[in-house]
Amino acid sequence: MAKIFDKLTARLIETRLLKARQSREWTDTELSELPVMQERKTASRLSAKQKSLNNRLKASAFKACDKEEYIDELLSDKLRRYDVRHFMSYRAAYHSAAKAVFKAQKNGEDHDAALDALAQKTAALDGKRVEYIAKLEEQKKKFLEQNPASDDAEYQALKEACEKEFDEYKAETEKRGAEYVERRTAKLRSKREKYEAKEKELRAKVKSDIELPDDVLLRVENLKMYFGGLKAVDDLTFDVKAGEIFGLIGPNGAGKTTVFNCITRFYNATGGNMYFRNKDGEAIDLRRFKVHDVILEGISRTFQNVELVREISVLENLLVACTRNYRSGMFVQALGIPTVRREDDILKSKAMGILKFMGLENYAAWPAMGLPYGILKKVEIARALMANPKLIILDEPAAGLNNTETAALADTIVKIRDEFGCAVFLVEHDMSLVMSICDRILAISFGKTLAIGTPREVQSDKAVQEAYLGVSDDQDEPAAEEKTDAAEEQPDATSGEEHDATEEKADAASVEEPTEKADKNAESPKKTVAPKKPAAAKRAKKTKEGE
Amino acid sequence: MKGYLLKNYGLNKSPLAPSRLTLGLKRVIKNPMYYFIIFGIIMLIIGNLSVKKVLPYSLSTGLATTFAYSIASVGFCLLMGYSGLASLGTGGFIGIGTYSIYYVMTVANLPFIFALVAAVGIAVVIGAIVGFISLRIEGIYLCILTLGLSEILRNLFVVLQDTIISSKFYLFGNSVQRSSGIFIVTVALVIVMIITQNIINSPTGRAMLAMKNSTSAAQAMGVSLMKYRLTAFIICTVYASLTGIMLMIVIRAAQASNSAGFYALITSLNILAAVIIGGYRSVWGAVFGTFIMYGLQTVLLSRVQFFVDNPVVITFISGILVILVVMFYPGGAAQLVREAKNGIKKLIRKIKECRYGKDI
Repeated sequence: MAKIFDKLTARLIETRLLKARQSREWTDTELSELPVMQERKTASRLSAKQKSLNNRLKASAFKACDKEEYIDELLSDKLRRYDVRHFMSYRAAYHSAAKAVFKAQKNGEDHDAALDALAQKTAALDGKRVEYIAKLEEQKKKFLEQNPASDDAEYQALKEACEKEFDEYKAETEKRGAEYVERRTAKLRSKREKYEAKEKELRAKVKSDIELPDDVLLRVENLKMYFGGLKAVDDLTFDVKAGEIFGLIGPNGAGKTTVFNCITRFYNATGGNMYFRNKDGEAIDLRRFKVHDVILEGISRTFQNVELVREISVLENLLVACTRNYRSGMFVQALGIPTVRREDDILKSKAMGILKFMGLENYAAWPAMGLPYGILKKVEIARALMANPKLIILDEPAAGLNNTETAALADTIVKIRDEFGCAVFLVEHDMSLVMSICDRILAISFGKTLAIGTPREVQSDKAVQEAYLGVSDDQDEPAAEEKTDAAEEQPDATSGEEHDATEEKADAASVEEPTEKADKNAESPKKTVAPKKPAAAKRAKKTKEGE
Repeated sequence: MKGYLLKNYGLNKSPLAPSRLTLGLKRVIKNPMYYFIIFGIIMLIIGNLSVKKVLPYSLSTGLATTFAYSIASVGFCLLMGYSGLASLGTGGFIGIGTYSIYYVMTVANLPFIFALVAAVGIAVVIGAIVGFISLRIEGIYLCILTLGLSEILRNLFVVLQDTIISSKFYLFGNSVQRSSGIFIVTVALVIVMIITQNIINSPTGRAMLAMKNSTSAAQAMGVSLMKYRLTAFIICTVYASLTGIMLMIVIRAAQASNSAGFYALITSLNILAAVIIGGYRSVWGAVFGTFIMYGLQTVLLSRVQFFVDNPVVITFISGILVILVVMFYPGGAAQLVREAKNGIKKLIRKIKECRYGKDI
């Protein structure tokens, strides 16, 4: 009984801790977005002021301007419109004349009558145009009589006054905005301190007996995932360090996605441990968390096939990742109380920042349906970034992208790592991407570790080469053999257990195949590592030095 | 002309500052919430005229019935269009409201507020139960299950008391006539529409849409399936039970064993058809679809002798409409209106181009 009570109190403390943490995170977001939002508000106010001042200037500007030039422009515009309107009448006249001429020629008659008719018609239309021009001239005369030319002085004086007023207004608005930001920041800071104190107090009560080295972000120990008799993941052990790009490769059906699904709790692992250092730097046991709670601890993921909400805009798609961050409950939202809109504004400002970072700000208002695939992939990564993650899990980010897009994606991933300070854990088939950006790579086959280490170590590993290209005996087998079942992600229990060496051959990506073969024949690893990006080359050097 | 002042004096092309009136009008036009209120006011005026017999009296009963069913449709629209769940239990859920108002007000003689609390309370419980079940069962099986639940409720009502008549209805101590039911129903519908629109535009609505598109992506983004499925079902059930209350105010009598009555399968199917015709992701569409299913007969077609003689034709019409909509306009009437709006905009632009040239 006492045990159950202890457990319950521990749970209660944990939930309260989570709430306090979320409140603190919310104040953090508000603090970071406050200046940006205030800037935008000031800009809109200033533009409104400018508009109203312009309206005041307009009358005197009209008085001061050169009347003849003014009316000329106005009337030429009118004439142009008249021409556009009457173009169709000319066209009809010519059309009917041409018809008449053809008809006359067919019957062998004279067609002068038709041409005469055309000349008459066009003459009439021209006459009308001349009349219209005369009318415009009259208008011009009248206008000039009514509005005699006046001097510029009044306008200049008014303009100076307006400019002065605008400057004053600008200074005042900016000052007021800065004051508001200061006041609000102080308020939020005090709030944040309160939350922090509460958090500290609660954290002291939580006992954690998980030991995790400081630089390790995610530790997977002896992970096992069995589907019936099939061992999809079998005794997998690896660490992901903070701030590194970690790649997971393997042939089709090797269980890569299963590993991801175990980490993000979509699958309940059969055995093994998964520890994670969450946003606060605490070590947690991932197996205790539910699927939808994992994101709060700092793990966010993307999907192999783009899984965005198609009906809403790109910006709103990003807000979906913040559903748990809203402070207002469902009732407040249903009643449409303005606090929800304020929270929306704060998060939208944050989302716009992330979209700008990804180079997508022009797509913010577009519906997610109908955008190109490459853009959608980027939007999904942006959505994952919205949750302030410590670890981003990318499931085949380059699938379906062309070479240019893949190169851009490699840059983006490195930039994300540098800017947001989060580790990236990715599964990829495109070997050029993996080899160029990953700091460390884990190669698996049928749920078992083949090799782990830097890209070059993994590339030169015998077991990896065998898994990808088969053993050296069947090197000259037909290419059809290379295409093992693409849908072998979750093979049957029977076929999974009784596999032989030839089945292990998977379709290696065409990009890396020749390099791998060359490596095998020449046995010169220097040639194989051919990073495309200068940044990647630098990193490769760094790792060399590290070794 | 518009270029001259801009070119030489750097002035904006806007001719005059917009007046306060235009600003206010713009605010009304841009905020969809005001549309609901305007709709409610117009309907109240029409109801008033109809009750005073300036307009035909059948209009008021027809509109009142339509609006009462519309409340359930709006809930169903939230359930189907936004959460991607389906239910055929609307008929049974309507019965909850009807019977709670009968037992609380006519049998126990308590004020209206108790009936409301009872109806909403029971609806929340039943919605939560169905929501829990929906975590395990999806699609057609969920339909079958809710249908079964609805039939269980109906049989329960038959056993309790087959025919219920509550001849008197009190609101805040005042007796409410049957004819003035339209006012209460309209106000309730407007409130329900506003609340639903708020939910749709809020993070909750987005989370529901995410859940509908892909449960795994939604879960990875922190959307708890249980919370939002339960919410969707609770809202749907509560709205249906509100419909029951409103129907009792308007009609005052119900028979559970009647196979064409409130609680029968036909009600659930009609509401499903209404939401499909109107467009399953639009509050306005749900109301319009309900009008086609329930209001058309009493309001418009009852004036034509042919339809009075052959009432079966109306069923044919709605059936054909459903088929046409599913084949050609899966988005329903809402999609039609949207496309028509875009078409008109395009047409206006083209006419302007023809008249003034392309650069204008």
